[in-house]
Amino acid sequence: MDYKKLTKEITLLLGVSVGLALIVNYFSPAGIALIGQWDTSQGVITARAKNDVFIEALEIEDVRIAKQVYDSGKALFVDARSREDYEDGHIRGAASLPVGQFDELIGTFIDQHSPDQPIVTYCSGRTCEDSHNLAQLLLDFGFNNVKVFIDGFPGWEAEGYPIE
Amino acid sequence: MNNLMKTALANRWLEFAARWILGITFIYASYDKILAPADFAKIIYGYDLFPHDFINLIAIFLPFIELISGLALIVGIYPRSAVLIINGMLLAFILVLSINLIRGHEFDCGCFSVKKAGYLSSAEPMLIRDIIYLILGLQVLLFSGIRKGCIGRLSQLSFYLG
Repeated sequence: MDYKKLTKEITLLLGVSVGLALIVNYFSPAGIALIGQWDTSQGVITARAKNDVFIEALEIEDVRIAKQVYDSGKALFVDARSREDYEDGHIRGAASLPVGQFDELIGTFIDQHSPDQPIVTYCSGRTCEDSHNLAQLLLDFGFNNVKVFIDGFPGWEAEGYPIE
Repeated sequence: MNNLMKTALANRWLEFAARWILGITFIYASYDKILAPADFAKIIYGYDLFPHDFINLIAIFLPFIELISGLALIVGIYPRSAVLIINGMLLAFILVLSINLIRGHEFDCGCFSVKKAGYLSSAEPMLIRDIIYLILGLQVLLFSGIRKGCIGRLSQLSFYLG
């Protein structure tokens, strides 16, 4: 084998791939940042895509703050996970609104709750983005006081806070 | 056995089929990843093997390396170099799958469709599949005859590239 020729060809093929990848990633609406956020101690993990739904201002990062909000009794906790996960265990008093069934369930939800109802969404913790997706959808539907509890059910359960 | 291997290595139709199978497989595998790089990045994170700063770069570059090498194999541009890249990727996949199989780490394969996120694939069938692809790749790599269906002998291009 002619190694010099092979090296040249491989460099060319990889160069075209890398160049094309950067161009497509730059122009694609689904493009992502060159470095993502993959440290759960810093918050919910994300590739930092252009079409990201993450609004950090909505996040409740401290489980004790979430508990204070819960204890105030004013906020409705809304579970973004699947119905099965909800039935296996959820924050006591939380409503179930799986983000995958949002379209079919939102009508009833709107009938039951005023747009001013403070809402805290949650899912399975910092590797899960469903609570952010749900929060964004609820904001789109006119709910104006929405927060995201990013440690989700596992974080709540680990503290021994009320579940059912 | 040696004779059988020599015959297989010299078979032009086998070389042609192997190139197309690998080419189509890798182009197909790149499609969903290119459409949803964020989902693919999350799957890479799930493997729990890569430094955080590299996860996005892998998610951005790997699908295009798969696409370009797959296309090169099918149309027959630099087939030996393209298959070297593909075999390199297959060896990396085999290594990653083996490490996670040995340490019992469950993850979403994300091999073909990132939409299956959350679906846990078993590592063994994927390993066997990748080993079969690797053997096909070796046939293409070691084949020394005239390859069928190559659009042009673009290897001359390297002459102009110096």
